[in-house]
Parts: sequence; structure tokens; C-alpha cells
Amino acid sequence: MKSLLSYLFLAFALVVSAPLMAKDGPLKVGMSGQYFPFTFVEQDVLKGFEVDIMDAITQEMGVDVDYVTANFSGLFGLLGSGRIDTVANQITITDERKAVYVFSEPYVYDGAQVVVKKDNDTIKGVEDLKGKTVAVNLGSNFETLLRELPYADQINIKTYESNIERDTALGRVDAFVMDRVSASQIIKDKPLPLKLAGPIFSTLTNAYPFKDTEEGRALRDRVNKALASLRDKGTLKSISEKWFGIDITTP
Amino acid sequence: MATLNVDYMLGLVPVLLKYLPLTLEMAAAGMALALILACMFAVIRVLKIPVLNQFTIIFISFFRGTPLLVQLFLFYYGLPQLFSALTAINGITATIMGLTLHFSAYMAESIRAAIVGVDRSQTEAALSIGMTNSQLMRRIVLPQATRVALPTLMNYFIDMIKATSLAFTLGVTELMGATQKEAAGSFLYFEAFVVAAVMYWIVVELLSWLQRHLESRLNRAYNR
Repeated sequence: MKSLLSYLFLAFALVVSAPLMAKDGPLKVGMSGQYFPFTFVEQDVLKGFEVDIMDAITQEMGVDVDYVTANFSGLFGLLGSGRIDTVANQITITDERKAVYVFSEPYVYDGAQVVVKKDNDTIKGVEDLKGKTVAVNLGSNFETLLRELPYADQINIKTYESNIERDTALGRVDAFVMDRVSASQIIKDKPLPLKLAGPIFSTLTNAYPFKDTEEGRALRDRVNKALASLRDKGTLKSISEKWFGIDITTP
Repeated sequence: MATLNVDYMLGLVPVLLKYLPLTLEMAAAGMALALILACMFAVIRVLKIPVLNQFTIIFISFFRGTPLLVQLFLFYYGLPQLFSALTAINGITATIMGLTLHFSAYMAESIRAAIVGVDRSQTEAALSIGMTNSQLMRRIVLPQATRVALPTLMNYFIDMIKATSLAFTLGVTELMGATQKEAAGSFLYFEAFVVAAVMYWIVVELLSWLQRHLESRLNRAYNR
């Protein structure tokens, strides 16, 4: 009886003290597991761009990694209540989020991207769209972005329900505008003669949020150090090219 | 129309089956605890025990009056903001606690209805031969009320099994969470969710069979 009690006490002590000793235990990373090709599951194996990048970061830091998957709506709750250390789910840095969390350096730069037919050498970026016909998806943010350009009245904007990539490949329009990540995936997955034209405009940056505590900031600094060294080694670039065919980790 | 990818569905069965036990364990634990709590609440309400009765009324009002998902978020993500020690509660425990509290509120009312439904003459007869309140409950009222309450309690258990699908918002990968993630990897949403739906359905059918079996046992005394 006495030994049973002491076992129980030991178990209790372990359970209670576990969170206290957790630092330098595994980095607990939350993700939705439902955002292809960033984080998804195939035959019970968690995969994706986010997993590869975070595996590399934690290896660089010399710690283990523990992935916690939850519906997206629960991820910031898990972070806020301290059950995970950060979220790896293409979290865009916004002012609202910056008010509550501290962010690592960005590891993904997304934004509006001009895409043209492969043999088009006249359009080399958004400034070359003057006098051209440009397709965008109906109701997308990219229509607004184009209309905000100072030379918007010189661009013939055509809105489409779908298939903007096909009409661009067929030459019916000169270019289309979409976010870079989706555009590069289309180019990679579909057998259409398309290419990216120039750099992105109106950039969005995605990074890892941490709790705004001493511990969170220390962890962010360690992650930043690992990110910088992976960037130098070309690891970020090669992981990005594996999933997207292009480097989305630089502007 | 696109064709159904049957091979993918068959391949998914063993993967998803691994998550079925957790779904069932959370529901079973929730049901067992909720039953205990609900019986206590029902008796308190029927006997109108002072203070406890008022507490129970407020408890039932809150847990019946707010969505389960709100309660789960409130307790799992909200309370740790005030009491950081609560972070030690993991997602599975939190789900079981949420299911217990939420469903006990509903079940308390259906058990109370079953108790009140036992004919008054039974109570009078028991009291006239000198039974105490607790003997009256244990020996006369509750056995008869059980028979009446069983179908609705089974309803709540079935509902609870399906409610475990909310656990993925707390980071617990159960049957539904596993299905969502697999579907995200394959884009075969229809196939993946059909497999999950059939699994839930089979489990619930098995329970319905159990219910019919139990009901006919409890009705034996009434069949002549």
C-alpha cells in the first residue's frame, strides 16, 4: 500500500513538473495538417514544406521537434495558452498579430505575381503591364491591387471565374496576376507554357509567431539564428524548390 | 462526373481505424462520468436539496445554453489565461471534461423526467413501509426510471460519439481530425469523408443493436 502511494505520488510529481522542465525538451510546433503542400498527411505521415523547414530548423538548433496538429481555429489558442511554442502554418505578419505575438524573421515571401506565356519577353514585371490585357480571378484581392496602380487606367483588366492560366497560355490575354505560391504551383503541376515575370509586388511575409514573453523572445532568437544559417547554407532555397519549383523564401 | 477512387478509400480504412479507439474512449469516458454527474443532479433536483438545487439549476442552464465548442474553447484556451496551471490539462482530458459537463446537463433533465414519471403511488407505498429517502431512490424509483431513461440516454451517447469530432480543434487527432488531414493531402475529400461517415455509422448501428437488446431485458418484467 505504501509503495503504491509513493508510486502515485511520483507519477503525480512527474505530471506536474513536466511542463516546468519542458524547456530544451522538444520544440512544440502547431500546424493544421490541412494546407497542401505546406502541411498535409499521406497515409498517416505528416509532410509538407512547413515540416521540412521546421525539421531543418530544429536540427540546426539541436533540439527535437514535436508536431501538434489542430484545426486552424485552435492554433492560436494552443499558442496563447502555452501548449505549443510556435505555429508553422504560413502565418502572415499583420499589425494585429504583432500587437500580441513576436515574430521570427520571415521565411516565406508571398505577394502578387505577374505570370506570362513562356515566350513573352516584353513583360518583365508589373510596370510593363501598361497597355496590356491582364486576367485576374473575379473577386480576388489582385483586381483591387491592379486598380490601385498609378497607371491602372492603361491596363485592360479582365476578370475571370476560372481558367485564367489557360487563357494566358493560349495568348488570349497577355498576363495574369495571382499570389506567387499558387502561381508557381500551377506552373509546376500543369503542362502549360507559362513563366513568372519579374518579382512580386505588394509583398506579404510569413513567419513564426511566439508568445511575447522572455521565454518566447529567447526562443525566437534561437529560431532566427537557425533560419539565418539555413539561409546561408542554401537549405531554405532547396526545400522551397523541392515543393514549389522556385524559391519562395526570398523576396 | 469524376470516378470514385475506391483503392484510395480501401487504403484509408486501416489508417483511420487507428484513430477510432480514441474517439470511442473519449465518448465512453465522457458518458460514464456524465451519467454519474447527471444522476446526482437529477436526484438533487427531484428532492429539491437546498443550495445544491440552485447550483444545479444554474449549472444546467449554462451547459445547455451554450454550444459545446464554445465551452471547449472557453475551458481549454480561455481559462489558462487566468490560471496558468491549467495548461497541464491535455487535449484529451479537456475533451472528456467538456463532453461530461455538457452532456450531463442534458442527461440530468432526462433522468429527472424519468424519475418524476415513476408513479406517485410507488413512492407512497415505499414510504408507508418505512423506507428512507435513499432506500426509496435506490430500490424503487431509480430501477423503474432507468427503463424509461434508457432510450434518451442512448441518444445522448450517440450524440457524444459524434461530438468527439470537435476534439481536433483542441489538437487531438481523433477519427475526424485524421480524416481532414488525409483529405488535405490527397484532395479526395468525398472519398475520405465517406470512409469516416461509414465508420461513425457502423459504430452507432452497433450501439443501437445493444440498445434494443438492453431494452428488451429491462422490459422483461412488463412482458407477460
